[in-house]
Amino acid sequence: MNKKFYILFTLVCLSFSLIAQESWEVIAEENDNLSIIMFDEELELSGQIIYDNSCKSCHGNPEKADFSKMLPEPGDIASESFQNQTDGSLHYKIRIGRGAMPKFEDALDSEEVWNLVAYIRSFNKNYIQKKPNLEGIVIPKFSLALSFDENIDKLVVKTIGDDNNPMSEVELKAYIKGSFGNYLLGKTLTNEMGIGYFNVDAKMPGDAEGKLEVIVKARKGYGSAKTMQKMIMVQPSTFESAIKGRHLWSTAKQAPIWLKVTFFFTIISIWLMILYVVFGLKKLKKYS
Amino acid sequence: MGNKEKGKQSRRKFLQNIGVAGVGAISAPAILFTACSSSSDKKTKVLTPDNKLIEIDSENGLAIDTTDKSYLNKIGREGIPGKKFVMVIDLGKCRNERKCMKACQSEHQLKPEQHHLNVLEMENPSSGQTYFMPKLCQHCDNPPCVTVCPVDATFKRQDGIVLVDNERCIGCRFCIAACPYSARTFNWTEPRDSEEYKDITYNMELNVPQKKGTVTKCAFSADRIREGKLPYCNSACPNGVYYFGDANEDLVTNGTTKETVRLSKLLKQNSAYTLMPELGTQPSVYYLPARENS
Amino acid sequence: MENINEKFATIEKDLLAPVKWGKKSIIWMGFLMVTLVVCMFFYYQQIRNGLGVTGLNDFVSWGIYISNFVFFVAASLIGMLISSVLGLAGSKWIMPISRIAEIIAVSFAMVAGLIIISDMGRPDRLHHVFLHGRIQSPIIWDIAIVLTYVAVSVLLLYVPLIPDIALLSKKQNGLPRIQKWMYKILSLGWANHPNQYKLIKKYFKLLAVLIIPIALAIHTVTSWLFAMTLRAGWDSPIFGPYFVSGAFVAGCAAVTIGMYFFRTSYNLKSYITDYHFDKMGKLLVLVALVYVYFNINEIIVPAYKLKGGEAEHLKSMLFGHDALMFWLVQIGGLVLPFILLLFKKMRKPLPSLIISSVILLGAWFKRYLIVVPVQQHPYYPIQNVPDSFMHYTPTIAEIAITVASFVLFLIIATVLSKIFPIIPIWELKEEVKEQIQ
Repeated sequence: MNKKFYILFTLVCLSFSLIAQESWEVIAEENDNLSIIMFDEELELSGQIIYDNSCKSCHGNPEKADFSKMLPEPGDIASESFQNQTDGSLHYKIRIGRGAMPKFEDALDSEEVWNLVAYIRSFNKNYIQKKPNLEGIVIPKFSLALSFDENIDKLVVKTIGDDNNPMSEVELKAYIKGSFGNYLLGKTLTNEMGIGYFNVDAKMPGDAEGKLEVIVKARKGYGSAKTMQKMIMVQPSTFESAIKGRHLWSTAKQAPIWLKVTFFFTIISIWLMILYVVFGLKKLKKYS
Repeated sequence: MGNKEKGKQSRRKFLQNIGVAGVGAISAPAILFTACSSSSDKKTKVLTPDNKLIEIDSENGLAIDTTDKSYLNKIGREGIPGKKFVMVIDLGKCRNERKCMKACQSEHQLKPEQHHLNVLEMENPSSGQTYFMPKLCQHCDNPPCVTVCPVDATFKRQDGIVLVDNERCIGCRFCIAACPYSARTFNWTEPRDSEEYKDITYNMELNVPQKKGTVTKCAFSADRIREGKLPYCNSACPNGVYYFGDANEDLVTNGTTKETVRLSKLLKQNSAYTLMPELGTQPSVYYLPARENS
Repeated sequence: MENINEKFATIEKDLLAPVKWGKKSIIWMGFLMVTLVVCMFFYYQQIRNGLGVTGLNDFVSWGIYISNFVFFVAASLIGMLISSVLGLAGSKWIMPISRIAEIIAVSFAMVAGLIIISDMGRPDRLHHVFLHGRIQSPIIWDIAIVLTYVAVSVLLLYVPLIPDIALLSKKQNGLPRIQKWMYKILSLGWANHPNQYKLIKKYFKLLAVLIIPIALAIHTVTSWLFAMTLRAGWDSPIFGPYFVSGAFVAGCAAVTIGMYFFRTSYNLKSYITDYHFDKMGKLLVLVALVYVYFNINEIIVPAYKLKGGEAEHLKSMLFGHDALMFWLVQIGGLVLPFILLLFKKMRKPLPSLIISSVILLGAWFKRYLIVVPVQQHPYYPIQNVPDSFMHYTPTIAEIAITVASFVLFLIIATVLSKIFPIIPIWELKEEVKEQIQ
């Protein structure tokens, strides 16, 4: 009875997972999305590094099918189910995520996701990269200027097109650079003045001058821009070393003074007394 | 992380000869002071003890000169200035997959019964529900193990990490007795694959090669974080259990999703706790409680 | 006057007689040596293969080596109690047994230092303790105080020995040349000059005072190896006095056993008499009473509260895995002997010997109960390790190395008692003189 139930349960789960996999639909526009950069070894290598760091824990080693046992199955990136998808579909799924598959949109930028796609494709010998039809499409060119408005605690990002006019409707993402990843301040679209604002928490710890390292990524159509800048945005902070001061757990050199004094005073005075007796015994000879 | 160098992308072949403004600006994520690994070959730039940037071969992906023992010992004892590393473990997400344990054991040359990181099955005393709890060295700010060490073999660094120098350790095991978290393990016999590792220079931050008769424990993957990478266990987790980061920045990064969040918010919103705070050890590892029926 | 000289002659004859290497003692030493060599083979194995030859694991990482170390330190405290505390307090009866107590103390203390080395994972790095010593660590305190205690104990044994060594150098014949030469050096030109007596009495008094705090410190620091940790069951502020009071019980039992063996094998029945056994029995009752009191405190207080981690440890001690050993030690090894010793008949030599042996055995297992069971109940569950990690069972190698420490103790004690008179001759003479006058 139990066994039957178990089998039934597994079947139900399996079918669910299959259905689930089937039904991960990608909107047409995303599905047809293509990289404007040619996939080459360089891209594959950068993709591999990202893969090893962020994807391998679930998807395992490519071509080995040693992915995690999860439901739905993460799958092997070299497998057909992956390779049969379009570049755009892979790009979308990595970015958006679903269920146990994390959403990487905020951790990786679009180019990095393309690098991943390039790496996934490197396991497919028959793959021929589809090129986007860029005829008639204007690729916007623009640059970014950052400033900080301390009256309203807002990071101000200005987009300026190559015609020196502000560019509106640019998707902006701003990050604070951390040791191991970038903290998303927010996403916004530039207004008609070509400006986007981001709230900055004044309580965020900065460096000794109150500086934070800001990364802003911008995208409009096929055009993109990125900039990184250290700016004074918060109160300066000072960081104490975790081992400052004298503690019982400090190194021998940093031992508490009271302990050093007590210890050495006790030991030395006892040994002086011992030596006093030892040398005193020499006096016995005087009387012999 | 692909720490692409500036200008790398300019060599890429565009499908059509169109310039994309701004591309080729900086996209390098965290780099601590030593490493700047390029993505395209097996050479790595490292900072030598005399502050020169040199390129070395790094087939095994290590970004610091792993042959200079005095340098390794020096950086191992000093730690990384201005940092205070912390880990946050979200118990609600742990599915007992044990990929973290595996990664840890394979990196640190540990036998199956030796754990720097041990996923325990715990029971909630009130509801009787069980949950899984990865338990590792808590890197306490008042570390009882360090207090009792007779020879400075285990020590706390300026970045908060508690390490073991297995070339100093005399094997008295007082630290094992003193640790209330049972986070330390001992090399009772020859370590795993010791033949294979015998010519490798001792790297204190990785604590490899392990040595017979010495204590070993979790090092917060000090060798990895020096390269700006997350600890081995964090990267290996498929379920997003681990967050790791610098408390001085108030930022922690999830090992699975690479999402970076504010440490203070994460702890506050999830009513984080530390293990046995009543002992006054002040751990650097925080736990987010397992949620009912999750 | 005739009388006194005759008496002195008998004393000298009786007490110098054992100071030679007879057939019996050579066989005994040979037996000890062979046992030691066999046991050392296991230590060689431990050096070669690591501490893995023991039953220790990551949870019970301190086993019988450490409990044996605690036992040895405990037993070594007795020299201080008998020669110093009672001596300074003016108790006359301790005179003929004071040297036995001192020899036992010195031998136990010397071997204790070696036991600690046998527990080290890397004995080849012993010098690190001196090169990189961290004075915050109780181990460093322990090493410093053990070395100091050995030094003071040796002096405390040696200073009152000087007149007897001079006597040996003058009167004892048929000894190896090297031994004679050694006596000559060690007698420091002793000539029975009254000023010389004055001097050694002065130094003895100084040492006797000095050794009291050191002896208290050595065992208190040893208890701190446990009490300074956060483990439930060790984390107790009364561990210092608890250990010290236990040490006197073990030490008194050891001295009683020593008295019995020296008395029978060295023919000292007229020097170590029933009176001394009776006195030792009474002393044992006193120290056992104090120890029982500390035991009650140490167990009742946490057992009343059953606080977190301590509850599990106490339950397993009182009713669980370690209950049998616990009750045998507490009742059989402490309470019962204590009650028996209240009866005068039980303080005769042979019953004293038997009771003391039981107490000493109980004292050894008591140290085991203090060290091991606490580690079997860590705050976090023992999981993902082999089943053998759940409980600790000492291996043959471990037992052999522990036996080696006892053998070593016996060797040191035997050698000392074979090259020096076991009862202070000059002090006895002084006493006889006083009695006659």
